Amino acid sequence: MAVEPGVPAGTRLPGAFEAVPLAPEERHIAGIGPYRLALRRLRRNRVALAFGALFLLIVGLCLLAPIYSHDIAHIGPNVGEPNATVHVGGHTRQVLNANGVPIGPTWHSRFFFGADNEGRDVAVRLLYGGRNSLQIGLVAALLTIALATIVGLVAGYFRGIVDGVLSRAMDVIWSYPAVLLGVALGTSLALGGLDLGLFQVSGSSLGIPTAIIGIVYVPYVAKPLRGQVLGLREREFVDAARAQGYGSLRILVSEILPNVASTIIVFVPLIVANAILLEAALSYLGAGVRPPNPSWGTMIADGIHELPGAIHETLVPGIMLVLTVLGINVFGDGVRDALDPRATVRIER
Amino acid sequence: MIRSSRFIGLVALLATSVLGLSACGGTTKSGTVTILFGTAADSLDPGFGYTTQAAEPDWIVYTGLLTYRHAEGKAGGELVPGLAQSLPKVSADGLTYTLTLRPGLVYSNGKPVKASDFPFTLERSMKLNWGGKSFFTTNIVGAAAYDSGKASTISGIKTNDATGKITIKLVSPAKSLRPYGAFPNVLAFPSAGLVPKGTPMTNEPNSPPPGDGPYMFSSVTANKGYTLVQNPRFANQHIPDVPAGHIKTFNIQIVSTPQQEATQVLSNKADNFDPADEIPGSLLPQIQSQAGNRFKEVTTAQNFYFFMNTKTKPFNSQLVREAVVYGLDRPTYAKEAAGFLTPACFFLPPQIIGHPNAACPYGPADGSPNLTKAKALVQQSGLAGTPVTVWGENTSPRKEYADTYAQELNAIGLKATEKLIARATYFTTIGNAKTPNVQTGFADWQQDFPNPSDFYLLVDARSIQPVNNQNFGQVDDPHIQAALGTLYPVPASKLTTVARQWQGLDTYVAQKAYTAVFGYNKSPEFFSNRINFPSVIFHPVYFGDWTSWTLK
Amino acid sequence: MARFVVRRLISMVAVLVAISILTFVIFQVIPNGDPALRLAGRTATPENIASVRHAWGFDKPIYVQYLRTMRNIFDGSVISYTQEVNVEDQIRGDLPATLSLSIGAGVIWLFFGIVFGVISAIKAGRFTDRALTVLSMIGVSFPVFFLGALLSYYVGYKWGVLPQGNYVPLTQDPVGWLTHLIMPWAALSVLFIGIYARVLRNNFLDTMNEDFVRTARAKGLSERQVIIRHVLRNSLVPIISLWGLDFAAVIGGGAILTESVFNLQGVGQYAANSIQQLDVPPVLVITMFGAFFVVLLSAAVDMVYAFLNPRVRLSG
Repeated sequence: MAVEPGVPAGTRLPGAFEAVPLAPEERHIAGIGPYRLALRRLRRNRVALAFGALFLLIVGLCLLAPIYSHDIAHIGPNVGEPNATVHVGGHTRQVLNANGVPIGPTWHSRFFFGADNEGRDVAVRLLYGGRNSLQIGLVAALLTIALATIVGLVAGYFRGIVDGVLSRAMDVIWSYPAVLLGVALGTSLALGGLDLGLFQVSGSSLGIPTAIIGIVYVPYVAKPLRGQVLGLREREFVDAARAQGYGSLRILVSEILPNVASTIIVFVPLIVANAILLEAALSYLGAGVRPPNPSWGTMIADGIHELPGAIHETLVPGIMLVLTVLGINVFGDGVRDALDPRATVRIER
Repeated sequence: MIRSSRFIGLVALLATSVLGLSACGGTTKSGTVTILFGTAADSLDPGFGYTTQAAEPDWIVYTGLLTYRHAEGKAGGELVPGLAQSLPKVSADGLTYTLTLRPGLVYSNGKPVKASDFPFTLERSMKLNWGGKSFFTTNIVGAAAYDSGKASTISGIKTNDATGKITIKLVSPAKSLRPYGAFPNVLAFPSAGLVPKGTPMTNEPNSPPPGDGPYMFSSVTANKGYTLVQNPRFANQHIPDVPAGHIKTFNIQIVSTPQQEATQVLSNKADNFDPADEIPGSLLPQIQSQAGNRFKEVTTAQNFYFFMNTKTKPFNSQLVREAVVYGLDRPTYAKEAAGFLTPACFFLPPQIIGHPNAACPYGPADGSPNLTKAKALVQQSGLAGTPVTVWGENTSPRKEYADTYAQELNAIGLKATEKLIARATYFTTIGNAKTPNVQTGFADWQQDFPNPSDFYLLVDARSIQPVNNQNFGQVDDPHIQAALGTLYPVPASKLTTVARQWQGLDTYVAQKAYTAVFGYNKSPEFFSNRINFPSVIFHPVYFGDWTSWTLK
Repeated sequence: MARFVVRRLISMVAVLVAISILTFVIFQVIPNGDPALRLAGRTATPENIASVRHAWGFDKPIYVQYLRTMRNIFDGSVISYTQEVNVEDQIRGDLPATLSLSIGAGVIWLFFGIVFGVISAIKAGRFTDRALTVLSMIGVSFPVFFLGALLSYYVGYKWGVLPQGNYVPLTQDPVGWLTHLIMPWAALSVLFIGIYARVLRNNFLDTMNEDFVRTARAKGLSERQVIIRHVLRNSLVPIISLWGLDFAAVIGGGAILTESVFNLQGVGQYAANSIQQLDVPPVLVITMFGAFFVVLLSAAVDMVYAFLNPRVRLSG
């Protein structure tokens, strides 16, 4: 395959499967389809499956946040009880001591992971924060994939002015240092909210960091996709479809899209992982989720601010974040191996 | 040959001088003291600098016509002549001030100090957009015209370089919003500290202009650090109330993590922890046990309160406001400040004349919140369930104060939602009349000078403006206005004569619950064991009085 | 070839202009972000605010403000809102910290990435390979500021082995410079070592299956010679181009998080602080500086590829 500009040499995109339409008489003797094959390979990869299960477990726990908060810990995520007392190992201690240092993990139903600097229950905030972080990560990734697919397909197929405009727009976003863009947008939009006439989003809504993260990653997916589409549009089956009188839209959807599908699938876990990490980074810099809503990033930031005391405030959300992202990464790696064991796809920075 | 008596005398002389040297601890290092700051000054140039980190060095580098006594507590708030020969002569109507410059004054670069340097200094501060320039423009005749570019000098200041006479005309009280009885305090700002005429009219953070003070800047890297050394020309000028200082060199470094700052001072690697920084709560036990003899917490003249908009629901009801004050969880706020908060209920801090001696009207200042009483009052007002927007800053610990306050409002029967925004736009946002739902939120005030009129700007109806409003509660009470009408003109030197009236006014404000004060700031005095701790003066206006420090 | 270069240069300039406009606009839409209000201070009267607004030119239309700011940037006289200091002087003062961090980390991650990648590839499928894969996966999953905070707390505070945070200039104290940078380098490199090791490993294995390697073996070269002369050289080429892009991104903005955690007072931290204080001039300058780096390096990479592969020149 020709090396397209913007994609480093040595990177092979999983386009090895071409959805060549089968003639009717061939269908009943067709072998196992490429996706079934991939699924089989994935099933054999125990490690990837285990980490995928870990990720699902964490998601499940976070979804159970209201139950934990209501029935086990008896405290909401944004409610602080700094003057409450807890009995730990024979001693009665205040949740927040006179110097403002919070109590560490009690391993009991209340303040299981200890308290934060406002006397809030870390375990409850961990689960609610997980909901926010995961929601932002998944929705942002969906946004990225959707936008990038449209942009990549349209730019790569139609070329010309459309391609020129879209590619320049991608270049601008891609060249803008990602963290700076995220922080600038996050700070600005948090102060004013988003008012697009049709709908308004308040500055403290989760939609703001979601939209920002979603947009920041679009070029990283759109550029390789565009490159792939540039190659695909010259193939015989596209010519054949054109000869058959298919319109552009139909060609895009029925011929081109299935061929880039495996690339897209491979990108999904990569983008989700990076989205969750970027949300944490933005929240650490104060430009992500707005207080008092919890997210893993804001919790780590609060914890770092408390150092050198209360290391549990930093460790607990941090380790949770690492386990989640690790789960996605290893599973995503397994998916990539399954679709094309020889492919190497990564996010170009 | 030296005869024996003279020989013995010579040996004795040598011996005493050697002993004398070691008694001074005279090695090159001992004359240098290292101070750590967590935040850099906004600028060391007195024409621009406004933060405490700028004021601390600037007041001993740039002396104004007047300055403050180098003492602790209330004595430190007393005005004394600096470069002026004596306190100003004030006309009977309080609108004309006359001062005379001391003869023979020179700057640290040898240039003579002239009377005309005074209006130049003020003009320069205005040109540089010094954050407190409104004190000049609203009080001095012709200053506003200069500031808006309509005049080329301040017409209200007349000087005579030959005699050193300076005459200042003040704006008449009907037009002035700002306290003109406290005008002498304005003359004591470091930004009014004289600089030579001809100094460039731009902010010079890396090479601040020369001043006439006990110390001078010897090397400056903006935002990284600077060095102060004794001004050799100062001692000979014999300015009685401004001491020449003992330490030869101060080395100031910006380190940015309070935890590192504190650890270094604890282990004696550095000598002082900037009082404007917060010591991490987790290090306090260690500091108190290991360094108890060089650590103290001092209350400063800065209040923390929640403003309540008295023009809209629900805080237009006195009952609801009282409920809020009853329900304030001051012990928790103190914890969130790691103990660096003195629980309080009165608007004026204790160092300010006018701080009441009375008991708090709605529950003791250091007590737990009385939620039952608070809930009952809200019910009585009929405004239970009113939605309320709580404003706050999104950095610790102010974020925590807002969170706890919102929790309290919900607990007493209101429906609170928070809006936490960046510090950079906080006060401009809540001070903008166009911002919707500015019902209640966090606010604080740190004194510009030790005069109650500085604080009463915040509840003075005349200071309400459509942008940059500081009277967030929209307080408009004729009783307050009448009292301020008689109290503002009282000259600063006669402040103690009206102490009782100020106390009465402050008690009235607390009884009307116009502001929900929850505490005053406490700052740490924390030194290494090289510094002679008992000799240190903690100045009420400028915090560290570096001229008072001595090495052990 | 020349036309290609010219085209890329033009698009580079266009991108930089677009980025500067975008940054300017982002800060213009902030409500109550009127810089004059913030600059004037809390005791300012409406007249004071008006005089500040006029002195800074905020009363002029937006495009005039934009052009004036850009002109000031190019003749080195732009000053920041919050401190009225010359932004470019500030950046020059902060640059050594950022460069020390980025270049040091860049060298470290390239070196270890290659070493681990080659080891992984040679021992492909065996325990060492799997262990290194797991380690690199963990490295990729760690947020850099979390790792930095942990290092700072355990290695710096608890065990007191290394100093925590702050930057010591090389000229002032070389040993201090090194000890203060070890933890930031470690935090920043871990992420990239993981990625690079895996990319190199996969490229290596792919290249091993190529025809020319078989030819080399057939020619009688020893396995060692084959690996070093043919396989390694070929698999390193994409790594180097990747490194260029990643390094540019780190200088341009990725170093912000590490600098913030360790308080290195570098350019990235200056940018982050400026954004929080809504101080537009430093943000503009640093963003353009970062973007310039990224665009320059990616253009260089593309030009090298175009030089090597004529087909790309024509189709791009």
